[in-house]
Amino acid sequence: MSQDNLVLYEKKELPGKLTIIGLAILILGIILTVLAFSTDTLRASYNLILSLTWIYGIGLGALFLVALEYIVGADWSVPFRRVTEIVATLIFVVPILSIPLLLNLDTVFVWLNPELLKADKYIAGKVPYLNQDFFVIRTIAIFIIMFIFYYLLVGRSFKQDKTKNPNINRLSVKLSALFMPIFAICITVISIDWLMSLEPKWFSTIFGVYYFAGSVLAALSLITFISILLAENGYLSKYLTEDHYYNFGALMFAFTNFWAYIAFSQFMLIWYANIPDETLWYMTRGNEGWFAVSIGLIIVKFAIPYLALVTRPSKSNQFRLKIIAVWVFLAHYYDLYWIVMPEYTRKTAEHTPVYSWFELSVPILVIGLIWVVFTFVGKNKNLMPIGDPKFRKGLEFHL
Amino acid sequence: MERKILHSVTGLFNTPDEIIKAAKEVNKAGYKKFDIHTPYPVHGLEKAMKLQRSPLGYFAFVLGATGAALALFFMWWTMSVAYPNNIGGKPFFSLPAFIPVTFEVTVLLASVGTVISMIVIFFKFPNNSHPLHDTDYMKAVSTDKYGLCIESNDPNFNLEKVKNFFSSIGAYNITEIYWDNEELNTKKVIFEPKFVIGLISIAIITSGITYYLLNKLMFMEPFSWMMKQQKLSAQAMTTFFQDGFSMREPVVGTVARGFKPYPYPADSVILAENNLINPLEYTEENLNAGKAKYNTFCSPCHDYHGTGQARLNGQFPNPPSLHSDRARNWKDGHIYHVITMGQNTMPAYNKQLSEKERWQIVLYVRALQRALNAKEEDLQ
Amino acid sequence: MSTTTDIVYEPSVIEGKPALAKVDADIIKPMNELPNKKFLIAISFTLTLLLIGAASLAYTFYRGVGVWGNNNPVGWAFDIVNFVFWVGIGHAGTLISAILFLFRQKWRTGIARFAEAMTIFAVMTAGLFPALHTGRPWLDGYLLPYPNQHSLWVNFTSPLLWDVFAVSTYFTVSLIFWYIGLVPDFATMRDKIVNNSVVNKIKKTIYSVLSLGWRFSNRHWSHYEMMYLVLAGFATPLVLSVHTIVSFDFAVSILPGWHTTIFPPYFVAGAVFSGFAMVQNALIIIRKVYDLEYIITLDTLEKMNKIIIVTGMMVGYAYAMEFFIAWYSGHDAELFAFINRAFGPYAWSYWIMVSCNVISPQFFWFKKLRRNIPFMFIIAVFVNVGMWFERFVITVTSLSRDFLPTNWDYYVPTIFDFGLLLGSFGFFFTLLLIFTRTMPVVSIAEVKAVAEGSQPAHHGLGHKEAH
Repeated sequence: MSQDNLVLYEKKELPGKLTIIGLAILILGIILTVLAFSTDTLRASYNLILSLTWIYGIGLGALFLVALEYIVGADWSVPFRRVTEIVATLIFVVPILSIPLLLNLDTVFVWLNPELLKADKYIAGKVPYLNQDFFVIRTIAIFIIMFIFYYLLVGRSFKQDKTKNPNINRLSVKLSALFMPIFAICITVISIDWLMSLEPKWFSTIFGVYYFAGSVLAALSLITFISILLAENGYLSKYLTEDHYYNFGALMFAFTNFWAYIAFSQFMLIWYANIPDETLWYMTRGNEGWFAVSIGLIIVKFAIPYLALVTRPSKSNQFRLKIIAVWVFLAHYYDLYWIVMPEYTRKTAEHTPVYSWFELSVPILVIGLIWVVFTFVGKNKNLMPIGDPKFRKGLEFHL
Repeated sequence: MERKILHSVTGLFNTPDEIIKAAKEVNKAGYKKFDIHTPYPVHGLEKAMKLQRSPLGYFAFVLGATGAALALFFMWWTMSVAYPNNIGGKPFFSLPAFIPVTFEVTVLLASVGTVISMIVIFFKFPNNSHPLHDTDYMKAVSTDKYGLCIESNDPNFNLEKVKNFFSSIGAYNITEIYWDNEELNTKKVIFEPKFVIGLISIAIITSGITYYLLNKLMFMEPFSWMMKQQKLSAQAMTTFFQDGFSMREPVVGTVARGFKPYPYPADSVILAENNLINPLEYTEENLNAGKAKYNTFCSPCHDYHGTGQARLNGQFPNPPSLHSDRARNWKDGHIYHVITMGQNTMPAYNKQLSEKERWQIVLYVRALQRALNAKEEDLQ
Repeated sequence: MSTTTDIVYEPSVIEGKPALAKVDADIIKPMNELPNKKFLIAISFTLTLLLIGAASLAYTFYRGVGVWGNNNPVGWAFDIVNFVFWVGIGHAGTLISAILFLFRQKWRTGIARFAEAMTIFAVMTAGLFPALHTGRPWLDGYLLPYPNQHSLWVNFTSPLLWDVFAVSTYFTVSLIFWYIGLVPDFATMRDKIVNNSVVNKIKKTIYSVLSLGWRFSNRHWSHYEMMYLVLAGFATPLVLSVHTIVSFDFAVSILPGWHTTIFPPYFVAGAVFSGFAMVQNALIIIRKVYDLEYIITLDTLEKMNKIIIVTGMMVGYAYAMEFFIAWYSGHDAELFAFINRAFGPYAWSYWIMVSCNVISPQFFWFKKLRRNIPFMFIIAVFVNVGMWFERFVITVTSLSRDFLPTNWDYYVPTIFDFGLLLGSFGFFFTLLLIFTRTMPVVSIAEVKAVAEGSQPAHHGLGHKEAH
């Protein structure tokens, strides 16, 4: 058949100009962050936690999507797996972001405050888990575990470009299955350590799932945006069709609904039982100016993406998908801002939401990091997994 | 020989690829009134037939939105307007608690509504008298063959040309389908007498059964067991006791909880006022409580300011003003005693006000008296 | 190349390449034959269970709900446990027919019809329990909001009422979904009947009425496909919402062990878990008895086992989270509730639950065991037992020892509780057995659509223009 000799993918190098722009944004972000630290360490630390959990969630979410593809044996996503894998490389940036925080844990985390521990027996009871040493050990252990899985899943996939060895797939399926429960525990621990313990009195069993939903959504939207952008400019295969993009739209729609479901469950159950130890977290986000921000979260992260993605044509229209992907990506920032910053403003006198160049440093830093990492890792590499035996079948996919 | 009216010409194909090609050919040849029959939906046939996208998705969206609006409105009206209840201190319109029902009604209305629209509007079902029913064509097409049917009311229809067209695209079993005579007389089902009588009888039977169940059966044994209990109801008559009352008086000598005997008979005011001291302080709390009770119990006769010109307007003898010198010179115990035991036309309030409440009223009365008799030093 | 075929090419959904007419014949066969001995034995067994249930029910009506073991403090016991159990079983059906449809997993076609029927019967069985446990079920009409002379309305803020709406919506939508799927099959059966006897004439009338006059017209198929997609799109969040609302029955309270925010997704995962196990059990029997092994293939069963282990791990995650947060919260009552579960008077039920739910599915990590039919049957039974006990542990253990030690007591079910539990199984399986002989167990039209050679040849790469 004449189709056997088709060139499915022609490697096209990412332009160097792209790296330079990324570096500029990153340097701006770093400068702003450093300035922020020297001006108001407390506020800057909270913002840094925001950056950390945002990037970590995206990187781990991408790794999760890679493993998910292997486990369910999906075809349509194979052409995009390399983009997903490059996004997963973001997890290597997180240790750097975490250093200023790990060296100054007691700035942000009140459970290191000895007076508070003396005054509140509930927080004191958590000391076996919430103490400096164990916190650092957990953080480092998760880094190591996730780096190992990155090598096992992503590193071998890069190698497969040259060797074209199908055994890599077989082993990767098994490794992905092993990865999933470990990933579930790790992402839960990350969410508890960095986000839930900001208010050590509060607790919610669903919080790990909540963070997971938001992170996968953010990773998915980033991958969608990058993939469509690259495809439009000829960096991916010319055989990609609207049917491929439809799946991105459908997944973003599904995860938006899933996130909203988890968020609503958490809120409604705590509202209904009205137990002060649980409601205090929502009260912080319902008082002063934060109530408007909370309502805004529902609109920005649920209502608008839902309406934008509900019809079938909108899920496959490339232009709309790019815009919606950017929107959803930034909506996750909104979500993390809503989780993290009220804990900061509680320590201030006014308690009202704050937004200035301090907070702007976060998206600038994060976007700069993503940009630089992607262009750096993607340099000289194939932007599609050409060695995967399912590569062609993935391109042939139609609805 | 009956004159039969031609409905359409049909032909069969063996593979899905052939039917797709056939669809494209039919469109090319310019026929509009045709249909393709397959035992299951074949991919790409919609496009080949140039069918419009089904609008059922929009139906679903509109019906779902309507369902959501209806549910929210209904819950708002019943829970906040018609019969508001304080349930666990939650607000009358508690949106988080209304979300689950709203969601369910949305899905219910959207699903059921869209299905009914599809069946009634788009399919025009039920319809078991279509000419294609009970033909060999239908039997083949419902099992494993693919069929094309060009209807005779197509503007380009010409029997010979159509038959040649079928042969040219490779169909076999080219058959002509005729209307059965019964099928021609399809009036609207709604107007047929059988249908109307059927509807009416269903209505009568259903309402009859419902009436019987809810108004008769529910009052029969054993469903009435909860209503008819052995115990005596407070207001009912009974033959068990001689006087016929179910309600019995308490045993002689029974006292209420918290009862403390009041030692001063109604006329021994001097004793009362000398021995009763107001135990309460002049705090804002006590005065406000006293004010509330005074306004409820005392103001109908004594008026809100104690003047005695109350809203009873003389229908009941007006009491003297509380601001007279005589009243001002009464001791606290005297006022307390009068409230407790009453005097002249004023009834006793010991059953309606607790001891503390009576003392609080005393404080308030004193405040009222001072208000109309203010001195210079009160302003400092 | 043989080294990559297992990775690249999925096995066919239907084994072999059967003629479409053979598929028809195989699926319709049981409906045209008289029941055989195996069937009669099976149905007499289920009818016996049903009779036991009916007897328990009659006695319950006669003497009142006091004949059950429910009392202070355990006000909810077998009644609610059975309700949640059966509703959970129903969810597997909707997941297979709706959710797997949305994910375009073709392997669902062999089992979707049967699973949908299971959903409907499971929801009917489940609905019996809330109806009965009200004590005076003949007054259950008050559960629905209708204008009455008391001007009373239902309490829309109560999760018990959300249940009424959720379960009735779920039943209605599942019934419609199932029926719409059946319409083309009824039409196929209608067209196969020859009008040569009175019985056949009656059958033909029944099938004609039920098929609404379906003509297999493609203009209709296009609406039908859209409708199916819309229904699947609605049924998916519906099924998630139903078991979520069931979980709200517990989670909105303040009881330790009940009030925890992870209940909604945990219950949904558990429902899928137990539902798939029940479907697995039923399908293994059906495919053998009705010779449908080439349609309900071993690959299908293996995929179901993978879903069982995934949802089992989700349930295990929820157990771990609950336990950790119970300690983390610092509330004595919370931590006690979980220690009590593992080491208190109901510890026997807790460890049955853990071994059946967390440990037994782990065997499915091994491919050999995933593809071994007797073994997977046994594991599925264990999972069902474990999930029933999970609801028992949640409901009874938490209630029997809550805040005040003076209120603690040990719940013992009575024989009528057990009678109703057995009766529910009898009810469910009797309906299922009757279904297998009166309606097509496999969706004829859907299976034909995924058989090899039934769709036009693929056009290869990029046949659609990408803008």
